[in-house]
Amino acid sequence: MTLVSQTAEGGGQNLSLRLLKTYPMEIILAGLVLFLILMAPGFASTANILNVLRTVAMLGIIAFGMTAVIVSGEIDLSVGAGVALSGCIVAWFADAYTDTIGGWSAVILGFAVALTVGFSLGYLTGRFRQWFNVPTFITTLALFAALRGVANLITGGFPLSTFPAGFDFLGGGYLFGIPFPVYIFALTFAAMHFLMKYTSFGREVYAVGGNMEAARLSGIDIWKVKALTLGLTGALTAISGTLIASQIGAGTGTTATGMELDVIAAVIIGGTSLFGGKGRIWGTLIGVLFLGCISNGMTLMNVSEYWQYVVRGGIILGAVLLNQVLERVR
Amino acid sequence: MTYSQPRTEAAQGRLAFRSVTKRYGPTVALSEFTHEFAPGRVHALMGKNGSGKSTLIKLLAGVTEPTSGTISVNGKDQAFTSPHDAFDAGIVTVHQELSLVPELSVGENIFLGRLPHVRRAGFRVVDWKGLHRRATELLSDMGLSIDSRQPVSALSVGQQQVVEIVKAMSFNPSILLLDEPTSALASKEVKQLFALIERLRARGVTMIYITHRMSELFEIADTCTVIRDGHYIGAVEMRATSPSEIVGMMFGDAARTTRPPRQAIDRGKPLLEVRGLTRAGHFNDVSFDLYRGEILGIAGLLGSGRTELMRAIFGADRIDAGTVRLQGRSMTGATPSQMRAAGLGYTPENRKEVGLVQALPTADNLCMASLGPIARGGIISRRREQPFIDRQIADLHIKCGDPELPVSSLSGGNQQKVVIGKWLNTAPSVMFFDEPSRGVDVQAKRQIFDIIWQKASDGLSSIFVSTELEEVLEVADRILVMHHGNVVAEVDPTRTDLTQLYGLCMEGASQ
Repeated sequence: MTLVSQTAEGGGQNLSLRLLKTYPMEIILAGLVLFLILMAPGFASTANILNVLRTVAMLGIIAFGMTAVIVSGEIDLSVGAGVALSGCIVAWFADAYTDTIGGWSAVILGFAVALTVGFSLGYLTGRFRQWFNVPTFITTLALFAALRGVANLITGGFPLSTFPAGFDFLGGGYLFGIPFPVYIFALTFAAMHFLMKYTSFGREVYAVGGNMEAARLSGIDIWKVKALTLGLTGALTAISGTLIASQIGAGTGTTATGMELDVIAAVIIGGTSLFGGKGRIWGTLIGVLFLGCISNGMTLMNVSEYWQYVVRGGIILGAVLLNQVLERVR
Repeated sequence: MTYSQPRTEAAQGRLAFRSVTKRYGPTVALSEFTHEFAPGRVHALMGKNGSGKSTLIKLLAGVTEPTSGTISVNGKDQAFTSPHDAFDAGIVTVHQELSLVPELSVGENIFLGRLPHVRRAGFRVVDWKGLHRRATELLSDMGLSIDSRQPVSALSVGQQQVVEIVKAMSFNPSILLLDEPTSALASKEVKQLFALIERLRARGVTMIYITHRMSELFEIADTCTVIRDGHYIGAVEMRATSPSEIVGMMFGDAARTTRPPRQAIDRGKPLLEVRGLTRAGHFNDVSFDLYRGEILGIAGLLGSGRTELMRAIFGADRIDAGTVRLQGRSMTGATPSQMRAAGLGYTPENRKEVGLVQALPTADNLCMASLGPIARGGIISRRREQPFIDRQIADLHIKCGDPELPVSSLSGGNQQKVVIGKWLNTAPSVMFFDEPSRGVDVQAKRQIFDIIWQKASDGLSSIFVSTELEEVLEVADRILVMHHGNVVAEVDPTRTDLTQLYGLCMEGASQ
């Protein structure tokens, strides 16, 4: 009998240990939320939570695409600038064509152009890697600088804000009491989760990132896979950029400065390996929620902005360390 | 000055092994090896793959320690526990892979890690002038006119190999180990290397020379020592022996295992037609046909172009000239994914690095090449994949426990079967098996051969490549022999013995 009870006890201990090993970030996030509910004034209020979700949504839409890019073994540093550019494109079309084709038609046309530009830039970044062996780190670093410049050239350096009535609903409105971007965020999550887990394309992304040469020798068109993940992220960037333009009511070249780092940080915190081949959309969801909660919580607790940067840096490093340690324990 | 001056007297390197045994777990790599290498001579060391040659070299270089027995140098017993010990005893090894830093100058490479210094204005700085003067002395001492100031990357592979030996000689060893120094050299460069070896022999340096090229033995070596399955077989004077005697010693009377009766092959219309295929620097003007249900063996030494040929046909590397037709369709210049669609499969020689995605589960690896056909409308699920996973695990007897665990947890033999299973899931009509038996235990090897024979009798055509010539003779219906990138012979395995095949592989068609 003693033997049995001992085994059972050991099993119980193993279970909690196993839970900690399997869901480390989930547990840490839960702990953080609990801490903020208790310590941060107003964190648990409905208005605040919806606010957090709205911010998280803008980041998350792109982060899900970025997860696929990083799993495939590449990187995209241009998403922050891409957000600014997309917003400016939409705003420019609204500004230039509202008189001739009507406000909403102009916005839709602008969105279509932004989507096409976003996808094409990402896709071509992938092909550049194939044709000229330019690392995506370099190409997207160049785009990071150039796109923001182009955004300012389009707007002439001033915010463009000739939007049709009701346009602000997309980024700032509520549907059934929940911010509209959150629906887009949830939809993107579901679609990307499905894409990565239940389609042959998703499987190919993991194979390409896990071992490029093995994937190529298995007859997978590795460059197409990489170019498509980058294109997809470009398109998601355009969607997020449009939502942000709607939320702030203007297209400006200075929007979303440094956003690429938050996006990449969320993906990394979610357990995706920068070496490629490993990562889950679910993890990225946890990552963006974590980042959203921590910055909101710190603001509520009156932590200075400078400290917030330091804490965020620490969290990124800590998450990677945790994953490395767990990798060894597993 | 931190480097040593060259000795003027002849270096004496007497090397003796007494009952040296090396075990790796239950495997005996070297068994009771006893032999004395006479000083000042060039000793060739011969043996097929896995015979214990590399173990012997590792023991001498101080990389591993013997399980029992002693090695003595110049009559003094040695117990090397690190490469440094071997070094101190006067043994220097020139490894097969070059260890030079391409961007650094020749002189700097020679004295890497022990650069001479001088004091200038109170600072200890590198004595570049002295370094290059010393390097130039060493180089000219060896009869070489290489500028010690030029970067190594500007030299040919042959010159680099020579610099490597000069570097080794700068330590003034009495015993020099040369591990396949000619494997990457053109024939003119080999001559230069041999001239250098002659010089060193004249100085009294004892050399142990490993090569697979029989012709070189008779040109440069004084004696030939043969090991087989870890045992000392014998040592012969080159003056008094013949290639066939050495091959006989290397292989013994290797019993030919019986293979299943093979049905006659219909040599009407070929399934795969290769014509004049060339990839500069790798293989030239290769032509052959492959018929339905046939197993075509390709025999050749490492670097003969076997793997490169298969990779090029599969579309993994570009080709410079020639055509490939598969099932009557022109497939010249196709990509791997187009070749796969046309019914060709390829299991690469280095399965660990490029055959599998190690971090992914066995299940994912098994389905990796056939995601398109398994998915419906691009959508895939484990339920859909399961029959493809289960069938290969059962058919190929893959021992994997849980197929959802990473494939890296499997043994070499089982990993190889996963690579094969991955391709059988694509329902190929032609398969290329590149070294499917490498690093695989005996039982798994038999199982893999059985799979190849079984699939061949079901109509699968295959190309089989192995470094082990016995295996090629056993498995194949017909054998092409490659030598320096050329197909030099086509032989019938039922009418060829190992000695003949080995001779063809080493010497090409000239013998």
